[in-house]
Amino acid sequence: MPTATDARLTLAQWLSPAYPTGGFAWSHGLETEVAGGRVADAESFEAWLADVLEHGLGRTDAVLLAEAHRAAPEELPALDAEARAFAPSAERLAETAEQGAAFARTTAAVWGLDLPPLTHPVAVGRAAALMGLPLPDTLALYLHAVTASLSSAAQRLVPLGQTEAQAAVAHLAPLCARLADEAESRGRDELSSAAWAADIAAMRHETLQPRLFRS
Amino acid sequence: MPETVAPGAREAVQPPRARGAVRFSVRAARGGSALATFRHAGSLRAVFPRVRPGGAVEAVLVNTAGGVTGGDRFSVEAAAEAGAALTLSTQACERAYRAPPGPPGRLSVRLSAAAGARLAWLPQETILYDGAALERRLEIDLAPGARFLMCEPLIFGRAAMGERLTSGEFRDHVTITRAGGPIYRDGVHLSGDIAATLARPGIARGAGAMAALVLVADTAEAALPQVRAHLPETGGASLLAPDVLALRLLAPDGEGLRRALLPILDLLTDDSLPRAWRL
Repeated sequence: MPTATDARLTLAQWLSPAYPTGGFAWSHGLETEVAGGRVADAESFEAWLADVLEHGLGRTDAVLLAEAHRAAPEELPALDAEARAFAPSAERLAETAEQGAAFARTTAAVWGLDLPPLTHPVAVGRAAALMGLPLPDTLALYLHAVTASLSSAAQRLVPLGQTEAQAAVAHLAPLCARLADEAESRGRDELSSAAWAADIAAMRHETLQPRLFRS
Repeated sequence: MPETVAPGAREAVQPPRARGAVRFSVRAARGGSALATFRHAGSLRAVFPRVRPGGAVEAVLVNTAGGVTGGDRFSVEAAAEAGAALTLSTQACERAYRAPPGPPGRLSVRLSAAAGARLAWLPQETILYDGAALERRLEIDLAPGARFLMCEPLIFGRAAMGERLTSGEFRDHVTITRAGGPIYRDGVHLSGDIAATLARPGIARGAGAMAALVLVADTAEAALPQVRAHLPETGGASLLAPDVLALRLLAPDGEGLRRALLPILDLLTDDSLPRAWRL
């Protein structure tokens, strides 16, 4: 069991934008919303991201991560298959599958873990369990990393200033903490999402021209 | 309710709740498909209108209780055997009424399609009234090579009355498996001030109706551009796999939703959409 400080440092590394998961390439459909004028400034971006966290990706990924953290090794393939089946569009599936595979590759190589390619939350949950890293911190930092990554995408797309993007991350940190708490008690059967507008934007991104991001 | 009712007795003084179950299967028959087995119980029935020769068996579900409220239990189980074709729809919109305190109304649908079978789940709209408590579970099991189409339209409140969902609880759980593994999974949980949630920019931007459609067919990839051509800006479609197409659509109200869905359903059913959808 690592010390609390060791655990936090490992999580800080895994969930930093410098970790080579390619997170900078994905906008989660935000690019469509910016192109359509529906996200146009810091305020509209924060409202959109709050919904994605609370009713979409944040909520579902937190449940999947927590389930992966608890899962026995033989339960992982079925959990990962469910995570893939829950993806609402082709690009959103690629977003979680490719970031998860890249995370697993690097983490397996550096820490010598047996970590096959998994969707992003399942890979992080499994790696954290293998390393004995506590679930609450893993959940909170994972959600914070999603927030930071999409805020960075907004900085390039909307565009937002650096200060505005960092303010968005700060404003949404308490929501990340709350979602992390709630996810610990939710099971796979309770996977749910109502971020339909965000999902539709991700579907429409497939035919958006021109585009910078892969989702 | 009189104040003399003891705590805990509330459930006992509620009127009896509706129960209904329909279970049947369809087999391939010479020149088409035919009903193989059929059972029903309670307030759920199925009628089988005559369809064009060689077409799918069409089952129209009828809720004789007139809707769903707290404590109701309805279940549908249907199987399309190898090479058979079955289309299920409903005679009317399903109304989820304001529910008394206690357990929600539960609706469970389990469908299966064997190799070479064609299965469609095309209920008319479910309308959530303010204060509704509804829990739905839809489980589809497909053999490799089975074709499946589903469309689930949902309306949030009676728009004609200006109704807003300021309270209520709605849970939805959808799983499509093929050869034991999930190929599509959806879940929804809305509660409390649902209208306020729907107003949000990442949720529904104030839309009053939503539909989810899934097509599992080897023609899915070819159908995608045609499906997209029919979609308004508030809808999207994508391939989750080369033979799995998923669509999500928002509309201001039920009428707008149906208007947008009809050409897509005509396309994906080869113009054999159940008549109930036309009325």
